[in-house]
Amino acid sequence: MKIAVCAKQIPDPANPIEYSNGNVIRPEEQVLDDTDRYGIEVALLLKEKYDAEVTVISMTKIGTQKGIQQALQMGPDKALVLEDETLIGANSLMTSNVLSELAKNVEADIVIFGTESTDGYAGVVPQQVSRILNIPCISYVKNIEIDNDVTLTRQTIEGSEKIKLPEKCVISVTASGVEPRYPNFKDIMAAKNKEVNIISINDIDFNIDQNMEFNELNDISSSKDGEKITDEGEAYQVILDKLKEIKAL
Amino acid sequence: MKTLVIGEIVNDELSSGTLEIISKIKVLNLDFSVITVGNADVTNIGSDSFSNLYLKSSSNKLNLFNCANEIKKFINEKEIGLVLSNSSYIGRDIIAFLSVDYKTSPVSNVINFEIDNNEIKTINSINGGESEYITKLTSDINFILIRPKSFDQTEVTLNDNFETIDVAENEYSLDVFDVHIEEKTGPQLEDSKIVISAGRGMVEASNLKLIEDLASKLNAAIGGTRAIVDAGWMPYSNQVGQTGKTVKPDVYIACGISGATQHQVGMKDSKYIIAINKDEEAPIFQISDLGIVGDTLSVIPKLIENL
Ligand SMILES: Cc1cc2nc3c(=O)[nH]c(=O)nc-3n(C[C@H](O)[C@H](O)[C@H](O)COP(=O)(O)OP(=O)(O)OC[C@H]3O[C@@H](n4cnc5c(N)ncnc54)[C@H](O)[C@@H]3O)c2cc1C
Ligand SMILES: Nc1ncnc2c1ncn2[C@@H]1O[C@H](COP(=O)(O)O)[C@@H](O)[C@H]1O
Repeated sequence: MKIAVCAKQIPDPANPIEYSNGNVIRPEEQVLDDTDRYGIEVALLLKEKYDAEVTVISMTKIGTQKGIQQALQMGPDKALVLEDETLIGANSLMTSNVLSELAKNVEADIVIFGTESTDGYAGVVPQQVSRILNIPCISYVKNIEIDNDVTLTRQTIEGSEKIKLPEKCVISVTASGVEPRYPNFKDIMAAKNKEVNIISINDIDFNIDQNMEFNELNDISSSKDGEKITDEGEAYQVILDKLKEIKAL
Repeated sequence: MKTLVIGEIVNDELSSGTLEIISKIKVLNLDFSVITVGNADVTNIGSDSFSNLYLKSSSNKLNLFNCANEIKKFINEKEIGLVLSNSSYIGRDIIAFLSVDYKTSPVSNVINFEIDNNEIKTINSINGGESEYITKLTSDINFILIRPKSFDQTEVTLNDNFETIDVAENEYSLDVFDVHIEEKTGPQLEDSKIVISAGRGMVEASNLKLIEDLASKLNAAIGGTRAIVDAGWMPYSNQVGQTGKTVKPDVYIACGISGATQHQVGMKDSKYIIAINKDEEAPIFQISDLGIVGDTLSVIPKLIENL
């Protein structure tokens, strides 16, 4: 079994995200999106079960590829990264076409994603890739049980449902039931020797037009000039008075 | 512009998100139809003022690939120029599939849109709702995913005037089992006028009893942060935020919640926000109308006692 697992590199969320023309401004050094740690964990559980080969795939700008190292530290075998400056600001369909080509390149049976990225949170890339690759899509997976076979639990609008893992599919994993592993020192050192294959847009079959124009970006500062008091034992009364004042009581 | 709304079913009814979109496009006076996707036996999802086609799949199949194929037939036949859905579960899957077929990227996290002379402009929320940008859509057919609670729901009269198609299965349909429908008791998060939410600052799961008592006194719905949902204190259906529900009540009371952007995006449009947090620097205070710097475990019991 061959597995491709996505790792999106994003600006460190510890700093405020900056935008230009609706697009995230991406520094040279980006980190692994935490959301993808859940998908990587699922890929590694499948690797343990089936002795599968796990390749990290990613589309990114030219940079230090710190996020790719962070992904490899968790345990995947290697990485295939498409670096290209022309793809900055790519829309979801361009991203999906690129990721599909990368998944084909590593002959993946199973392609694993996060449900939505922290910076983009469009949440459509996994489903688009399944349609492009023409394999079933199991979205919003929140748990995985492994015994004789593999059962995935997916979140639905009303609750949940279970599905047996088919031979080929796309899976998107939500941050929930699985606990991503922490790499130890040995894992971190081992990752440095893993193969990272960096290619460019000219190396894949890619041609799609951008169909949207971005316009103005407005900051809607949601910050309020609210009242703030320190509780000296009487704060409950302030709350009750307020609730009455706004007619909530 | 001929418009299609992809509807979803929750508890055998059209979801509130679907009704919000219908309410909005009625105001815009668009020529629209609805296609609803689901697995349940339903009644009362039709109307005399718009057509609703129900694409029903067997209750033990995940069959959205084929539903998308059915919708494609409809789009081509009716020459649809705009497809709208909620950015929730089924909507995102279906719109994503269609966007590939029509080679047009969808716009996600849309909180408003305008149509002027056949030109569509969307307003998208980014960065946890702290910024927004305007996108002009320039394709022959465009796909928009709307964040729940973006539009007010107006009265939509529903009846049994709808058509049902049983959607066929093929190799892309997957068997599902152990289908679990979360029980809903008490006031519903999305509809309640008051929401009381708990975070890690409630310290222990057993203290949620305080939240329940307060909620029952105020006839409020209960929400929570992902931190406590992940910790197993509350079911996922109560999660408020980016990966949970979006709420917009008259009053939102945040108890022991730090106010991460991923939480804020699900509640910051509430009309009046009260936060109780012992850290006076907690980000939740930046969006609160009334901030109480204090211990939840001492403030809430007194509130309950005096109600
Ligand atoms: C991709 C992604 C999606 C996410 N989606 C969501 C989402 O949908 N919803 C969501 O909520 N989060 C989401 N998160 C998580 C989010 O980033 C935060 O980690 C989470 O909201 C924090 O929850 P919390 O406020 O309960 O906990 P904490 O951040 O730990 O805050 C606890 C607060 O309680 C206060 N406190 C402690 N003790 C007391 C006391 N006795 N009295 C008063 N105050 C006290 C502390 O000062 C602190 O501010 C997401 C994260 C990611 C990466
Ligand atoms: N540039 C990228 N490189 C690798 N994976 C990506 C990229 N963009 C999106 N993804 C994957 O697709 C998921 C959904 O992304 P999005 O549609 O941006 O919310 C993410 O959680 C990632 O797993």
